[in-house]
Amino acid sequence: MIGIYLILSFVLSLILFFAQKRIISYFAVWSFILLQWVLTVHAFNRRDLASLEYFTFDPLSLILLGILSIVCVPAFYHSYVFFNNRKDIPRQRGIYYAAMVILIASLSAAYLSNHLAVTWIFVELTTLSTSALVYHNRNERTLEATWKYIFVCSISITLVFVGILFLSIALQHQGFKELSYQALIIDAPLLNPFWLKLAFLFIFTGFTAKAGLVPMYTVGIDAKDKAPGPAGALLASVLVNVGFLGIFRIYEVMANTSIAQWANTILVIGGLISIFVSAVYILRVKNLKRMLAYSGVEHMGIVMLGVASGGAGYYAAILHLVLHSFAKPALFFQVDQVYRIYRSKSIYDIGNYFAYNTPGAMVLLFAFFIITAMPPSGMFISEFLIFRSIFESGKIWLLILVLLFLTLIIWSLGKNIFKMLFIRTLGFKEENIKKIHPAESLSQFMLLALVVYLGLNPPVELVNLIHDATQHLPRKI
Amino acid sequence: MISFMLIITASLFFTGIVIRTKSIFSGRKGPGVFQPLRDIWRLFRKGVVYSETTSFIFRIAPSIYFATVITAILLIPFGDQPGIMSFPGDFVFFAYVLALGKFFMIISAMDTGSSFEGMGASREALYSLLAEPAFFILMGSFALFTGQTSFFEIFQSLHFESYISYTLGALGTFIFIVLAMIENSRMPVDDPKTHLELTMVHEVMILDNSGFDLGLILHTTNLKFAMYGALIANIFISPGMALYYSIPLFIGVEILFAIVAGAIESFMARFRMNHNPQFIFTLTSISILIFLGVLLMLGRIS
Amino acid sequence: MTNTLLIILIISLIYMVVANRLYTYIAILAFQGVALFGVAFIELIEISVINLIFILFETIVFKAIAIPVFLNYVIKRNNLTREAEPFVSNFISVVIITGIIIGSFLLSNTLHEDQLKGIFFAAALSSLFTGLYIIVSRRKIITHVMGFLIIENGVFVLSLAAGSEMPMVVNVGIMLDIFVSVLLLGIFVNRIGDVLKEHDSEQLRQLRD
Repeated sequence: MIGIYLILSFVLSLILFFAQKRIISYFAVWSFILLQWVLTVHAFNRRDLASLEYFTFDPLSLILLGILSIVCVPAFYHSYVFFNNRKDIPRQRGIYYAAMVILIASLSAAYLSNHLAVTWIFVELTTLSTSALVYHNRNERTLEATWKYIFVCSISITLVFVGILFLSIALQHQGFKELSYQALIIDAPLLNPFWLKLAFLFIFTGFTAKAGLVPMYTVGIDAKDKAPGPAGALLASVLVNVGFLGIFRIYEVMANTSIAQWANTILVIGGLISIFVSAVYILRVKNLKRMLAYSGVEHMGIVMLGVASGGAGYYAAILHLVLHSFAKPALFFQVDQVYRIYRSKSIYDIGNYFAYNTPGAMVLLFAFFIITAMPPSGMFISEFLIFRSIFESGKIWLLILVLLFLTLIIWSLGKNIFKMLFIRTLGFKEENIKKIHPAESLSQFMLLALVVYLGLNPPVELVNLIHDATQHLPRKI
Repeated sequence: MISFMLIITASLFFTGIVIRTKSIFSGRKGPGVFQPLRDIWRLFRKGVVYSETTSFIFRIAPSIYFATVITAILLIPFGDQPGIMSFPGDFVFFAYVLALGKFFMIISAMDTGSSFEGMGASREALYSLLAEPAFFILMGSFALFTGQTSFFEIFQSLHFESYISYTLGALGTFIFIVLAMIENSRMPVDDPKTHLELTMVHEVMILDNSGFDLGLILHTTNLKFAMYGALIANIFISPGMALYYSIPLFIGVEILFAIVAGAIESFMARFRMNHNPQFIFTLTSISILIFLGVLLMLGRIS
Repeated sequence: MTNTLLIILIISLIYMVVANRLYTYIAILAFQGVALFGVAFIELIEISVINLIFILFETIVFKAIAIPVFLNYVIKRNNLTREAEPFVSNFISVVIITGIIIGSFLLSNTLHEDQLKGIFFAAALSSLFTGLYIIVSRRKIITHVMGFLIIENGVFVLSLAAGSEMPMVVNVGIMLDIFVSVLLLGIFVNRIGDVLKEHDSEQLRQLRD
């Protein structure tokens, strides 16, 4: 199934690349969405089985694959809206859709792979497709963002590769050869801890470029800022998930060895500094999309702290990731509408949004409450559980710092969003405002409602899946 | 004793060969091989003029310089025979007795009260400072490799068996050659033929010397060149070689060294003054690499 | 023989930091490709023929020929000034690189139990950190690409140290990485040249908060 999926995706992307007429593009996009859902259903039916020897449908990949399939539908819809509102250049449209298809396909394959090197190859492919998406509007700033993105992601992927090499050297000393996750989890406790430490450090640093954590988060910010709205939504949700997946898998491998405590420390340091950095920058930033991107950094930091704290933190971290992957795209889709009305991304130029697009403004208002984890947002539940697990692990100072930074972030986000929603801006001309059809905001309402539902009343299936995903992690006594 | 005689002999024709090589590469015929010797002999017979601003340092410095170099030559071994002096750790004594001579030259240059000479003296001091670690690390690597600490014993037990030791030997020779060019104030660090005081390093230090003193200093340069050539030749002369074989090898290495020096002088321009320190420090880097390579070979680090 | 070649590789790193002209950088990269070919040939002589031919192809054709030619083309097409412009003076660079080399030897010493492959680690780590240093300390954009290539050389040496049981998949990975990255980076350097007219990384400063 995976093989068929990959080949068909490649064929569809070629069709999209060369399609001149819009009908053909739309047909190909619908076929791809159908293909994606077929894969997801097939995967859910075959839990824990392997396919093509390098891919396994294990619980965490099922969760992430489900998120991807759900998010890609509004992403394609909003891309359609996006292209409707500008001049149709078939070449640019072709590249955009083809890159998006390749991105989603390689993300699915990266989620499903059970071998460290295969994950690495597909994450490399996501770099290439993302850069094509970021360079969609051809001007100086996107050129700079694309250049930086390719360069830093290539170096980060190389660092991951160095980490993989260290692991395989360590394996060879003991006579093992397999780099699949199952084999690694079993073999890791027998390896030399020094190698394990080095490998973990390099792989973690490399994957932070995708996951949006310190130290390599900077290119993610620029990429999400400069990519078109729907593409930015994908970058902020599902691409960040693949970064998390990489870090989580290697953490699973290390969690039963002697360096587990040390790995926890690394995750705590990374998470804490990420939250600190995002607090500092959110206070300063004036570009709406960058603000949302930094908020993504903060949420990934919280997820890392949840993973490092253990106990209920494992469940809460993955739940938080799931909810964030639904909430963030809603915000990005809405920002696209904001941009269409105001033609600017700066907070100074946006104001009194309620008067111009009431459904959209409602989305923005609800999304603010949801993303800052106020009740009834599902993220309130997950963040509360993470804070509780930090408290139970004994690091009170960590909890105090995190709460302090989060307060600053909530204050800054609230100040900016309420200003945009309610306060008039000076110098804004009220003629020629585009009318945004209310139905365009429907997808975002649905995504936000999904976040509330999944948080307050998660289906048993989801809870079981999350618990199974963390089965390899050590249980606290 | 043999090494002492051989080095004195080699110094007689060394500079002549260098100048001859440079001339031939420039398309001229050039002066004879013993012409520099005749120049020095002429200088020995002339009287000396001392400036009024100088003190006794200026008068004794050339003699001390000459004496230190002669003392250093006493340490150089030759094949199976140790030098006239030989004791453990003598390469340290070697480096510092040469430094003593250089120190006296530097203070005598500053003694004249001329700012040009002071400038040359400071440059000379900087280059010696940067070149010293290269020499010590290199000799230290050889000492570590053979387990001995005097010149004679190091060169006696030095033998090459594997590829990596050939590499280290070749690198060591290269560093010795470049060190010799630096210590003798030759290209690419210092141009002996420049007429502009602002670009001189060693030449400007001896601007005020004349007559017998100048002759001593010029001959000391010859001796230093021959001495470094003898060190390089020692790397190639393995113990147990018969005398009729090793003496021609020695003379051959010295002549080859002189030709190489002349070739370097003909084909390279002097580096910009800013680049000189980095060039000399690169030598130290390479000698550190040799040191690490020796450690690798010995298995002290893996 | 591999020890010799790897020591020569490390010396070429020192030379790279001191060099001034862009063409010298490209020449050193080509020379490193040939040295890596030698090391790969000697180390991997006992594995399957297909794998061996693949790796040899990758080193000689890519590293030693195709990429230097491509970089030459990029330099000529964008009329770059032929000098690498460092932020720090060359003397300090040499000191730092020497420190890096000593550090990587010490690190490989603590890292490793058996005697056989320590030089591989030292060479790989030196190349890695030297490549990072060159990226950080040079002003031109094209030298960033060259620093990246040095990092790739270091990773190649490390993968040789991992032994001859390296699966084919990983080799494909290396080749994909280098090929696509350099191609894309080269394309974008051309684009930057067309748009920005100056190949200074100081120009890439518009995206900031």
